[in-house]
Amino acid sequence: MRSCRVNEMDWGYINARMRGMKSRLLNKRALDTLVLQPDLASLIAELEKTPYRDEIIEAKVRYSGVLCVEYALRKNFTRTFQKILKFVREPEAERYIRIFLHRWDVQNIKTILRGKNIHIPAEEIQDCLVPAGELDEATLTELVRQPDVRAVIDLLATWQVVYARPLTESYPTFAKSGDLSLLECALNEFYYADALEQVKPLSYNNGLIRNILALEIDVVNLRTVLRMIRDQVAPGEAKKFLISGGKEFDQEGLDHLITLHSIEEVVEELKTTPYRFLADIPPPAMRTQKISVIEKQLEKFLVQKGVGAFTGDPLSVASVIGYFWAKYNEITNIRIISRCKTADFTVEQLKEELIYV
Amino acid sequence: MSLAGWEVPIGAAIAFAGGAIATGWAQSRIGAAGAGAITERPEVAGSIIILEAIPETLVILGFVVASMIILMVK
Repeated sequence: MRSCRVNEMDWGYINARMRGMKSRLLNKRALDTLVLQPDLASLIAELEKTPYRDEIIEAKVRYSGVLCVEYALRKNFTRTFQKILKFVREPEAERYIRIFLHRWDVQNIKTILRGKNIHIPAEEIQDCLVPAGELDEATLTELVRQPDVRAVIDLLATWQVVYARPLTESYPTFAKSGDLSLLECALNEFYYADALEQVKPLSYNNGLIRNILALEIDVVNLRTVLRMIRDQVAPGEAKKFLISGGKEFDQEGLDHLITLHSIEEVVEELKTTPYRFLADIPPPAMRTQKISVIEKQLEKFLVQKGVGAFTGDPLSVASVIGYFWAKYNEITNIRIISRCKTADFTVEQLKEELIYV
Repeated sequence: MSLAGWEVPIGAAIAFAGGAIATGWAQSRIGAAGAGAITERPEVAGSIIILEAIPETLVILGFVVASMIILMVK
């Protein structure tokens, strides 16, 4: 009983901080101001008037242009989540937050493996990392220093990092085929299986996390199915890249989707699921097999569901889930704006690319 | 019905203790959330102090009830 009361108090504190932090995120108006900036220099100047000020000033010393914005966004994201981990002292809350932060570990390991696989210089790989997870900057720097993919996996195994296991198991197949997506898929599969395992016992908080993870798995699987169909990969081969544990599609459902012949057929099949909104996509995009439009809609759906968690019980992990997605979306939007400014997109085109929640 | 004498102070104590415990519980919850809110947005400190004081009404009510029991029950 006593520990239960302590938990409830901590959630109240965490929820208040999350909502306070959310109130400082850029709203639609602030994003529109950024969109209306004529060029990248004025965008950076405008960002200096936002909560990104410190990071932009720091970034300007090292970089210019789009790299400056990218660096500032990465720094801000890392600092934000390190700050959350610092003030969360309650073990249960910390465990939930770590589940979300682990995905950055997975993302960073993938980035390093990709870089090593195509022999990118260590500095360039380092610039692409987001040390927001448990693998800190020093650990990642050491991993980046390794000469090749094998050495990275070996070092992870030496340090007994959990991600070494799926990588070691899949390495022989990768060594034969040279297909890095096998290692990436093994990492994804491990991350989701591990996360779902951690939230197995029945409770409100576990249910929230399970729901959002299962939704994510569905979206990841749908993306894989669409890509496989577009690239006409044989169903037997494509199955290897699907992740189990989804909410809407079980193994049988996915097996059926992967045997369909065109993207239109997949969209037609999805009309009886929560993904029926995909049917509203203009037919020309479907005919040209341009799946980026569909992927954008799926991303929007996922972000909206994630941010929607804010309406859940305030004395639960709901606000943390909501904040995570809201922050992720803000950073993605600013990144899109900065990239579009360098590519001279019109304001209307740019606004279409953004996800407002 | 005549009273033995111990019921009055016991009744008053229960009335006051109930209000005090409820106030303490409510203030602890508001205090935790308020501390979080002030950390992120110091400008809301004024409102949080007012919100923190609101549950005091419970203990005041308990005190009034306890006083009435002592003064009025013979």
